[in-house]
Amino acid sequence: MGRTKLYLDDDIPSHSKRVWRLFAAKPQALIGLWGVVILLLLSCFGPYIAPYAAEYQDQSALLMPPSWSNQGAVSHFLGTDDLGRDIFSRLLHGAQYTFGVALLVVISALFAGVIIGSISGMMRGLKSSILGHLLDALLSIPSLLMAILVVAVTGPGLSNVFWAVGISLTPQFVRSIHQTVHDELQKEYVTAATLDGANPLQIFWYVIMPNVWDTVIIQTTLAMSAAILDIAALGFLNLGAQAPMPEWGSMIMQGLDNFLFAPWTVTIPGISILLSVLAVNLVGDGLRSALAPMRN
Amino acid sequence: MELSTLCTPSRLNAYLSRAEPINQVTTITSRVATRLLMVCGLLLATSACQQQDDSQVPNGLVYCSEGNPESFNPQIVTSGTTIDATSHQIYSRLIDDNTSSSEFLPALASSWTVSDDGLVYEFELRHGVKFHTTRFFTPSREMNADDVVFSFSRIIDTENPFHETAQRGFPFFDSIGFNKLIKQISKVDQYRVRFELNYPDASFLANMATDFAVVLSQEYAEQLLLQGTPQLLDTNAVGTGPYQLVEYVKNQYIRYRRNPDYWGEQPESEQLVFDITPRSTVRLSKLIVGDCSISALPKAGELQVAKQHDDLEVDSRPGMNVAYWALNTKKPPFDDVRVRQALAYAIDKRSLLNAVYHDTAVVAAGILPPSSWAFPDENVELQYNPAKAKSLLAAAGVKNLTIDIWAMPVARSYNPNPQKTAELIQADLKAVGIRVNIISFDWSVFTQRLASSNYDSVLIGWSADNSDPDNFFTPLLSCGSIQSHNNWANWCHKGFDTLLRQAKNITDEQERKVLYRAAEEIIGQEVPVIPLAYAQRMLLKRKNAPYVQLLPFGGIAFDKVSQPEPVGGRH
Amino acid sequence: MGRYLIRRLNLFLATTLALFIILFVATRWFPADLSYALSGVALPTTQQQLQIEQDYALHSNVISQFLAYVTERLSGNFGISVTSRQSVLNELAGVLPPSFELAFVAGIIALLCGIPLGMLSALSRSKMVQKTIMAATLTGYSIPVFWLGLLLSLWFGIELGLLPISGQINLLYQIPKVTGFMLFDTLLYNGDYKWNAFADVLAHIILPACTLAVLPFTVVVRITRAAMLNVMNQTYIRAAEARGLPYHTIVLKHALPNALIPLLKHLGLMLGPFASYAIVVEVIFSWPGVGAWLVSGIYQRDYTVIQAGIFAVALVIIFFSILIEVLYTAANPMSRKEMYGTN
Repeated sequence: MGRTKLYLDDDIPSHSKRVWRLFAAKPQALIGLWGVVILLLLSCFGPYIAPYAAEYQDQSALLMPPSWSNQGAVSHFLGTDDLGRDIFSRLLHGAQYTFGVALLVVISALFAGVIIGSISGMMRGLKSSILGHLLDALLSIPSLLMAILVVAVTGPGLSNVFWAVGISLTPQFVRSIHQTVHDELQKEYVTAATLDGANPLQIFWYVIMPNVWDTVIIQTTLAMSAAILDIAALGFLNLGAQAPMPEWGSMIMQGLDNFLFAPWTVTIPGISILLSVLAVNLVGDGLRSALAPMRN
Repeated sequence: MELSTLCTPSRLNAYLSRAEPINQVTTITSRVATRLLMVCGLLLATSACQQQDDSQVPNGLVYCSEGNPESFNPQIVTSGTTIDATSHQIYSRLIDDNTSSSEFLPALASSWTVSDDGLVYEFELRHGVKFHTTRFFTPSREMNADDVVFSFSRIIDTENPFHETAQRGFPFFDSIGFNKLIKQISKVDQYRVRFELNYPDASFLANMATDFAVVLSQEYAEQLLLQGTPQLLDTNAVGTGPYQLVEYVKNQYIRYRRNPDYWGEQPESEQLVFDITPRSTVRLSKLIVGDCSISALPKAGELQVAKQHDDLEVDSRPGMNVAYWALNTKKPPFDDVRVRQALAYAIDKRSLLNAVYHDTAVVAAGILPPSSWAFPDENVELQYNPAKAKSLLAAAGVKNLTIDIWAMPVARSYNPNPQKTAELIQADLKAVGIRVNIISFDWSVFTQRLASSNYDSVLIGWSADNSDPDNFFTPLLSCGSIQSHNNWANWCHKGFDTLLRQAKNITDEQERKVLYRAAEEIIGQEVPVIPLAYAQRMLLKRKNAPYVQLLPFGGIAFDKVSQPEPVGGRH
Repeated sequence: MGRYLIRRLNLFLATTLALFIILFVATRWFPADLSYALSGVALPTTQQQLQIEQDYALHSNVISQFLAYVTERLSGNFGISVTSRQSVLNELAGVLPPSFELAFVAGIIALLCGIPLGMLSALSRSKMVQKTIMAATLTGYSIPVFWLGLLLSLWFGIELGLLPISGQINLLYQIPKVTGFMLFDTLLYNGDYKWNAFADVLAHIILPACTLAVLPFTVVVRITRAAMLNVMNQTYIRAAEARGLPYHTIVLKHALPNALIPLLKHLGLMLGPFASYAIVVEVIFSWPGVGAWLVSGIYQRDYTVIQAGIFAVALVIIFFSILIEVLYTAANPMSRKEMYGTN
């Protein structure tokens, strides 16, 4: 039994509702969102819907072109590579490495970043400055260099990519959160809360944090697209996922040998990477413009 | 016409100076447009020039090679990459292999004699041979017996100051037991050198004709010793070959200049540049674009691309080589012969040949390739049989095995794509319940790292250095070759070694053939290595490129001026 | 201003120190013998071994080892490369100029194309133009650079045969190294093939530079657009309009310089990703720069090369980001108050 509304209320939408409305008003942002949802589903269920196993080698169909070509066959929808492995299946299997691992890295970096960034943002003086310098040094090492350093220590592999990209993403989170917390601390409403007798923890959690989330969300989408590109680039340089793992960047690297006579082994994984990053960026753009009026 | 005039500097400058009127342009869009136009124009101008200046580059030959040489002295290496870059370019040998027969050709030695008991060899040296004059060395005398004695005593004489500088030894010479073979090397007179052996060796002359047996300058060595930098002997190379080393930039190029004092026929190209390009796709692209005129080690699939381009051609010849998978027999569980046999049964060489070699190769039955005269008439190969592999593994009590396969990331003449090979083996072994990790390092450090690690197995191979069948056995699988890091199986079998020694001491080909057949049988039963394929040697080149010679054994030579008559014989 | 500069210098030194600490720790974790990882000498003689141990104070405590490490590196001793057995410092000096050359040309292309396009998209009243430009930049921002490089080289190099796709120059030209910058060196060179060589160098740089320019280009377009939109709404622009100045004067003289200031700041932030992209581009186009050198260093597990390469690249990034920050402060009166701020 729902309650009957007797009075006409002015419907004042909540913060998140307003953001959603602004976001949904843009068709390209919605398309991006659908793309991200599909990628998420593929990362979880890709291996179950793939027609072949990732490493299954069909010796009778080496380097078969995609099905729309004259020599192609529907059984290998996007063609096969030089070991007769189905590219479509490998893409589905690979989504969890490229997109899934990127998501994991970003979430981990986000956690680390929020914790370190908030603490350092609340701190003042020398400690904060030392931390700042260390972070600046870390930040000045580009993600690829960091990956090279990590690979030199541990050897190549997808787990090392996780560390490399994580280490290079964390400082960005720390920095933006540090900056936001720092800026918010100067504002009057914080002083008001302090005067009301709130302790630092309460100030941090109830007063500042709600205003930091917007920054965090935007930073997350930025980091997500950077992480996908980094993981793929490392796979391409053979420093990340190792053959025969169907990580998309490493698929490009493996296809490179056949690039001149079987270009689909390179173009198709490349388009998948492009589309994923594009989807993430569309969502990010949409969120940014949806949040912008409120941030100003 | 228009384009070619554009390429002259003055026109280019005029083109650039068209940017001036920009100040008067009023709207932003047109300003952008002008700038874009200017950039495009510049691009067009330069690209047009690029197409035109084929005839306007200096005389020379660019060869796209596959990797960095480890050093510039073939004495101290076995890597084909280093041999290609040094042996026939910078250096000469006493005698050379003949492309058309199993006789030898005179090189630095104009003639030679063998004593009846096969224990004394005397070489008469060529007169008037000069060493390279380079930035760091100017020879004051011609090559003579001292240089030859120095070059070889460096290898066997542990007292020689230049013995020490070869830190990893002399792998080829160590593997054939050169120091045990040679009793004495002496200078008879200025132009005469005598080699005395401890026992007769049917393969001695063949070994002297290998790419490793080069002649260095003793005068240069002494100069380096005085300077206190003996290690430079192997990097700042000085030889008597058709080209002399000018510059080496790691990962980029090796530049050679024609040796004006070369004792043989002068090569056609003034300059020779090795463009170091590890990726075979890039090598092919460079060849198509024209950045290099000859390109090494194409992958099998790239041949069809070459066929589509009218200005490219493929140079191929049956190789004296074998690609194999060596199992470290010192390390459990590979010390169990049943495990090794199981691995041999578990891999499908036919699919490997199809996918990796695109059927340009022949399935290897044994270690000796068909182009050798001692090739056995019937083979002893273990056929593909995964069921048998499983039962052998069960009998050996091996479960949940995970093994490492070392596979190099670059093509070799015996295997155009070791990485792919490893992936195929990985899939085959998965079917019998063995997991595989693939380990890979750049070629220039691959063997070093392999030698210093406790590896499980390695995909490697061997290209013959000479026509003697012994070259496939003693350097690769004898007990003595474990020390010299050529015996990657770390396998030592007394009966096998005895067979090899017997075969070396006799000269009758039929008798030797029987002995080598027996040796192959031992390999077939003991499976220290699993032979995979005998590959063809291939080279891609532009049709207008100067003639180059794929030498029958290993190397490549750029010094021949014209194509010789086609010959019959065993090739 | 002096105090501000000292603070920035201080920041530079502190960050460099932190960088040293990171590298020092990483070196100890390399899966190799410590003296080998530090010096690159694979099979040292006893004498060399002693020398290495003395140089790097291997028998003392960690602090003096660190000091010895910093001293050696600062005095230019980066050890030798295990692949070529040559001094790493010499190799580094050889590979840095080509990288700068490529980055510089790519940066120029990005600015020359990006600023006008950004202004166009901000000032244009056509929705079509705006949307096209924004869609193009978003795609450019999302494209994996290695894939783009491959496609460009396939199309322009192989299919059309227009441009060389690999290396810096046709190797038959023997250009003496004076500055290390090939574009200058060919101009300084006085041989027979001078202009051919120069045209060849130009042709070689086009594809890598255009590939590398894509990322900064998209960023420049977006920032210029945002800054321009912001500036055009300012009161001083309206004041200029009220005075009846011609439109292009307003845009070029009043709006553009102010819109470029935020661009400067974002350029500084972009250095890191730009360097990552440059490494990949160098690998794809076999550009003989520090990126390709570093990547082959990792394939060869050439630990001294890895250390020197990371050190050099990171140091360059630190230096330029601080330099850009100083320039930004100098150019922007609004930010000058930060010079004296506590922050």
